[in-house]
Amino acid sequence: MLFDESTLRKLNQLTLIASRIRSGAMKGERRSSRRGSSVEFADYRNYAPGDDLRRLDWNIYARLERPFIKLLEEEEDLAVHVLIDGSQSMDWGEGAQNKFQYALKLAAGLGAVTLASGDALTIGLLQQGKVASEFGPSRGGASLARLFRFLENLEPGGETNLNRAMRDYSIIPRRAGLVILLSDLFANDGYETGLRQLMGRGHEAALVHVLAPDELDPPLAGDIQLVDIETNQTQDVSLDGGLRERYRTRARAWIQSTQAECRKRNIRYLEAVTSQTWDHILLLEMRRAGFVK
Amino acid sequence: MDIYFVPCWRIKQSFFFPLSSYPVSRNPYLVPMQLLTPLALTLAALAVPIILLYMLKLRRKQETVSSTFLWRQLLREQQANAPWQKLKRNLLLLLQLLILAALVFALARPALQVPVVASGSVIVLLDASASMNAVDVNPTRFDSARDSVLDLINGLSPASSLTLILVAEKPQTLIAAETDKSLLRQALDNAQASQGSADWESAFALAAGAGSNSTFVIVSDGGLPESGLPALPGEVRFIPVGASQNNLAISALALRPAQKSPQLFAEVTNYDSADRNVLLSIYFNDQLIDARQLSVQANSSRSLTLDALSNESGIYKATITTPNSNNSLNSLNPPNSQSSINSLDSLPLDNTAFAVFQSSSSRRVLLVSNGNLFLEQLLASLPGIQPFRALPAADGTIQMPNDPFDLYIFDGVAPPELPKANLLFVNPSSNPLFEVGGTYNEFQNMQVDQHALTNFVDWSNVHILQAKTVQTPAWAETLIESDSGPLVFAGETKGQRIAALAFDLKESDLPLQIAYPILFSNLINYLAPPSAFDATRSLEPGESLSILPPSNAERIVVASPSDQAYTLALDQTVFTQTDELGYYAVNFISGDSNHVEYFAVNLFDEAESNISPRETIQIGRSTVTPTASQQIGQRELWSWLAALALLVLMIEWQVFHRRQIPSLPIFRNNLDAEKR
Repeated sequence: MLFDESTLRKLNQLTLIASRIRSGAMKGERRSSRRGSSVEFADYRNYAPGDDLRRLDWNIYARLERPFIKLLEEEEDLAVHVLIDGSQSMDWGEGAQNKFQYALKLAAGLGAVTLASGDALTIGLLQQGKVASEFGPSRGGASLARLFRFLENLEPGGETNLNRAMRDYSIIPRRAGLVILLSDLFANDGYETGLRQLMGRGHEAALVHVLAPDELDPPLAGDIQLVDIETNQTQDVSLDGGLRERYRTRARAWIQSTQAECRKRNIRYLEAVTSQTWDHILLLEMRRAGFVK
Repeated sequence: MDIYFVPCWRIKQSFFFPLSSYPVSRNPYLVPMQLLTPLALTLAALAVPIILLYMLKLRRKQETVSSTFLWRQLLREQQANAPWQKLKRNLLLLLQLLILAALVFALARPALQVPVVASGSVIVLLDASASMNAVDVNPTRFDSARDSVLDLINGLSPASSLTLILVAEKPQTLIAAETDKSLLRQALDNAQASQGSADWESAFALAAGAGSNSTFVIVSDGGLPESGLPALPGEVRFIPVGASQNNLAISALALRPAQKSPQLFAEVTNYDSADRNVLLSIYFNDQLIDARQLSVQANSSRSLTLDALSNESGIYKATITTPNSNNSLNSLNPPNSQSSINSLDSLPLDNTAFAVFQSSSSRRVLLVSNGNLFLEQLLASLPGIQPFRALPAADGTIQMPNDPFDLYIFDGVAPPELPKANLLFVNPSSNPLFEVGGTYNEFQNMQVDQHALTNFVDWSNVHILQAKTVQTPAWAETLIESDSGPLVFAGETKGQRIAALAFDLKESDLPLQIAYPILFSNLINYLAPPSAFDATRSLEPGESLSILPPSNAERIVVASPSDQAYTLALDQTVFTQTDELGYYAVNFISGDSNHVEYFAVNLFDEAESNISPRETIQIGRSTVTPTASQQIGQRELWSWLAALALLVLMIEWQVFHRRQIPSLPIFRNNLDAEKR
């Protein structure tokens, strides 16, 4: 079981928010920017031939003798796309600190919140430069069990190519919405192109940077050969106190530059170190970052 | 294997004077270096396993990480920043190879060839006489000589051996034919200069016995006798020590009993080549009694006689100081501050002298006799004698008085048990000390043997009627004898002085001769000396002193000038530890009473006081001049290399330690705590 009952209850209370409201295929619980058929008044506009006469405001016509169409707010649902980086580098960390398991739990949590608030959820696993498996789009709490089954069957593996995988995801026409990428960003080609492409399709983007604690402060010393678990590339280092310190500084600088880059592109960024409990990230940090209401 | 090193400060010059333009042997810029055990260089092959081990170690422990993404970025920056990073990675290997190189080179025993005075089998005669205490060379001549010998030891080639003979009053071999330099240095460190004169003849005999075909190195300021030294079996080299001849000495200080009061004679000699003024101060028991300024011309002496001195026993001390120092006539304090003495001349040892005056006390002499007018009158007339007489009882038994006497004279009688004191037998009867036989009256060829006790004794007119047959015991010496046997003998056994006349005075015309008072005065002074030893003349350092303790003494303790106490056994009557200059107190302890007598040891030795360094010395028929360093010695450098290896080892450890620290569990815990 990925979730216990109490966590699920907490998840239900959350609703995801998106700063820009998208049009939805079904009436949802969110305000849409599209003017629609609800009861809440939004605006007036000039009548144009072919408009539904039912929406003409006769009172205004009587007063001004000019036809105006009364625009009403339309409420819509949100399309939430959770993209999980499924590369081998995500399979790092012991037990609860394993980054992939952690990302799956975060995805499940986000999915549960999304489904509970009636929004449309799509989950994609990015592997080997493509979308290796996909869940959804689906909505409604009934899909929750299916979601969990889907997540439990996912396995990490292969090399990262976030850019290609995200392009692969964006080629298929999907409802524009909120794209949340869960990744460690250990990708030589970077991730920016892919995200930009997604945003070009009208998506809003958010990034959860999943990192294990020993990636920030490696417990290594002496003359060692580092083997990359993903690419099997080797790197000789002679680790002394100075180099370790420089590594820590470098890692911190990398996170900060990523954060700055995201802020510049209007991408929400959240750093999730797996030494923190995942529900703490979901319930507290995500709320603080504005992911959920 | 010869390696030529060019000292770095020479390199610049060699641009202008190419090294090849010098013949190698005369090239002043080349210091040839030798490897004594070049075979050890093969140990350099140990570098191969070190490098192999390092390469094995360089197949690094593999550590899997989630991604080398950040590492590669970091190292790319690093290598761009510091090109020596690669070198730093191999720092440990380089340091280890450096340690190995230093150790291998040390084992190969590199040695610089340095010029030395001698090599091969070397016998060093190190002068330790009083003049070597002179301070004209800083700190002293002896220390300077020791440095010269140390240089010689350091420069010894490994095959060379060295024998070190310290030449003092009694020359001694400090270390013989030793090749171990540390032992040699230790022996040299223990050598001390004495305060006496040096016995060069014995030293030469010792040296000649120590080895032939050796190189003899004499380190001295040249106080060797001008002639009479035997030739040494080998080459002789001479290392002179000393720079100055600036010395004044008290060359004589003596007391003489005059008619009423003793008379003091003091002599100051100037060995310097310039005229000098000195202040001569005379102290009696540390009280200044006279001080006068003397002007002493170069290489001459001035003397001083003081009359009307006190009749008390006591110690006279004479010192010479510079006249304008604080020690004026009015000064009550004796000038014993070392600085004022030092400033006078280069050798302070001979600036002070002591003389002892021992007022004679009367000696108790017991005459056991049936009546002998000649002896009674003689004893009554001798000065310093308090005579007593004991008569044997009518039945011939002798009642000996309980009080001890200095001398017992038995005239024709002898008690069955002899007192433990000095004895004189006249016309002896049978006694435990020597055999007495019958009488005889044939006296052919009476003659007087040469002896201190028979000085001025004219026996030519003496006639004897009859005498007793006696045998001279082994411990005694015959003084006067005829063909028929000894007539007078004297000697010492078990701390007792014994003398005997084999004839009755009444049966000879000896008491009528001039020889009678002379012989008896000599004998009684010998048997009952005015004091336990002759203190009127001062001793030379190292000279032995014979002591005749008073009969009641139970213990003899001699205190040296440096307050060292020597306890003498009662039958040991020769005191030999007279190495120090100054006055010695001889304590005769009996029960609670203590009787003290003094004697003085002075350096009245011209050879030692004349400290002017000699240019040459005369040995056998050849003259030896100071030797320049001609032979090639070797100065080994391995200790420096070993020290270097140790230093590098410490650096290597430090480097290794710094690298390893983060992997220690304790630090890892700290890091975890930080993260939390």
